[in-house]
Amino acid sequence: MDRKAILTEYVKNEILRNKNAQLDENEDLLSSGILDSLAILQLVAYIDKTFKIQVPDEDVVYENFKSINTLVGYLQQY
Amino acid sequence: MRFLLTHAVSHWAEQTPDHPAIRYSGQELTFAELENHSNLLANTLIQLGLKRGERVGIFMNKGLESAVAIYGIMKAGGAYVPLDPFAPVARIGYVINDCGIRFVISKEIKREQIAQILAEPSTLEFVIGIAEPDGLPVQCVSWEQVYTAPSQSPELHLTEQDLAYILYTSGSTGVPKGIMHTHRSGLSFAEWAAETYGLRQSDRVSNHAPLHFDLSTFDYFASAIAGATTVIVPEALTKFPTNLANLMEQERISVWYSVPFALIQLMERGAIQNRDLSALRWILFAGEVFPTKHLRRLMSMFPSIRFSNLYGPTETNVCTYYHVEQIPPDTDETIPIGLPCANVEDLVVDLDDHPVPPGEVGELLIRGGVVMKGYWGQPEKTANGFYKRSAFGHFEDVFYRTGDLVQLDAQGNYRYLGRKDRQIKTRGYRVELDEIEVALLSHENVQEAAAYPVPDNQGSNLIEAAVIPKDNRDLEESDLVEHISRRLPPYAVPARINIMTDFPRTSTGKINRRELQERAAEKMSQ
Repeated sequence: MDRKAILTEYVKNEILRNKNAQLDENEDLLSSGILDSLAILQLVAYIDKTFKIQVPDEDVVYENFKSINTLVGYLQQY
Repeated sequence: MRFLLTHAVSHWAEQTPDHPAIRYSGQELTFAELENHSNLLANTLIQLGLKRGERVGIFMNKGLESAVAIYGIMKAGGAYVPLDPFAPVARIGYVINDCGIRFVISKEIKREQIAQILAEPSTLEFVIGIAEPDGLPVQCVSWEQVYTAPSQSPELHLTEQDLAYILYTSGSTGVPKGIMHTHRSGLSFAEWAAETYGLRQSDRVSNHAPLHFDLSTFDYFASAIAGATTVIVPEALTKFPTNLANLMEQERISVWYSVPFALIQLMERGAIQNRDLSALRWILFAGEVFPTKHLRRLMSMFPSIRFSNLYGPTETNVCTYYHVEQIPPDTDETIPIGLPCANVEDLVVDLDDHPVPPGEVGELLIRGGVVMKGYWGQPEKTANGFYKRSAFGHFEDVFYRTGDLVQLDAQGNYRYLGRKDRQIKTRGYRVELDEIEVALLSHENVQEAAAYPVPDNQGSNLIEAAVIPKDNRDLEESDLVEHISRRLPPYAVPARINIMTDFPRTSTGKINRRELQERAAEKMSQ
């Protein structure tokens, strides 16, 4: 399961809502304004549904969600 | 004497030079450093030719430089205009041209966006914070160069009537409008707030709100009056309640001011009840109604913290307030907006501008030092925004029309009942639904458009829209989202856009937005 590809597609389709968007795997999702509070909630729910991983509240932190790559790195422990 | 928003910082730079004035991400500027850096920036702007009353943009993510920019611009005799770092460039470009901004304070990371802005006709001539133009058609001055400017205070002969800042907000005709505040109106609020909340030098006041939201004027200016420390919350952390709760604890925040949404998130996802917030003594909130059940829960978690509801449109900053008493367990009555602040006059009028008897519903009008000067470049909108009551024969008392419907309750507190118009709040952000419709209609394939709020069950609203394509042309939601995202800030982009073949109509053929709204709310609750 290529989590990186799946997450990238999800962010492009459901959060950016623009299939043609350019999304670099190291792009800072916060500074660019791509992720807001609602989008983070959606992303956490999607990770639960798709990868069956329940990210605990205390791990929903900036350090783990900074970029697609950072997020994939965090999820590796599951 | 204190008649400029910059005086407090100069005062404390003299009295307690080493006391922290601003903190960001573990770094800080003392009052002496803030005063010094502001002088350097002010002298740089003056040397480059900034004239008194000129508007200077602030276009960067938050940092220690945010405070330097705010005070430096004002010390140079200019008015600061915060530009939302997350807004689309078209919108930023519009604001820059609308108030004729020649100077912008920025950072290297904004180069790409500045280039896009300059690709269209722009009044922009100078960018402070970028070292080399590298093709940009403007003069660039790096922060390093700023730090070599003369350091003595500019000592311009400014007055309280001078323009201090302009905050741009959603406009119903499709373009944002600039709300002009002077040093007088800014100080009227900051002084009231510093006094009402007993701010003192030992306080650590958070800055959660973006600079273009007037909540931030409390965080910087009321705090400065007391010589307290303003702790800036990095934007990224505002989206992660766990990080935010951690900052509140680590930085020992003593006074917090934000929209209710941020506090609800802290409760629901930030595990805030597990934090040591013993330093926190006041939680202030504004911008939107705080749902009673959520507020009750938050108050029960922190029985020794005092809570205060602040109300007022950006045009008047804060004009009424209500310190929340303990909320009984069985009530769902909305929290009152309370009483007019000291030095503020309130008037409630009916549709014919006649004062209503106490206890009846009417529009709230506000008079006092806190009221804005007007809307930038919009004499007609400005004139329509004020009500004049004749006084002493041929003089006039000028009131600002808030557009909010209120009613005095049995205890003598004002209750907010709703808007006279199509302005709504979503997560504390102010949005004109008509601005969204105009943006949708500007798409070449859109025939008709309607935007409406849908309650989100958290006491706030989501925005939805419905669109009829021209001549049955192919139109997808993602096309419209992209189109709108290039015109409006992220919070104004509808959560859902329905493509329809027709709208429900009223008997006169107008779009029945209420019907669209009800259908959407029904769908939401299924």
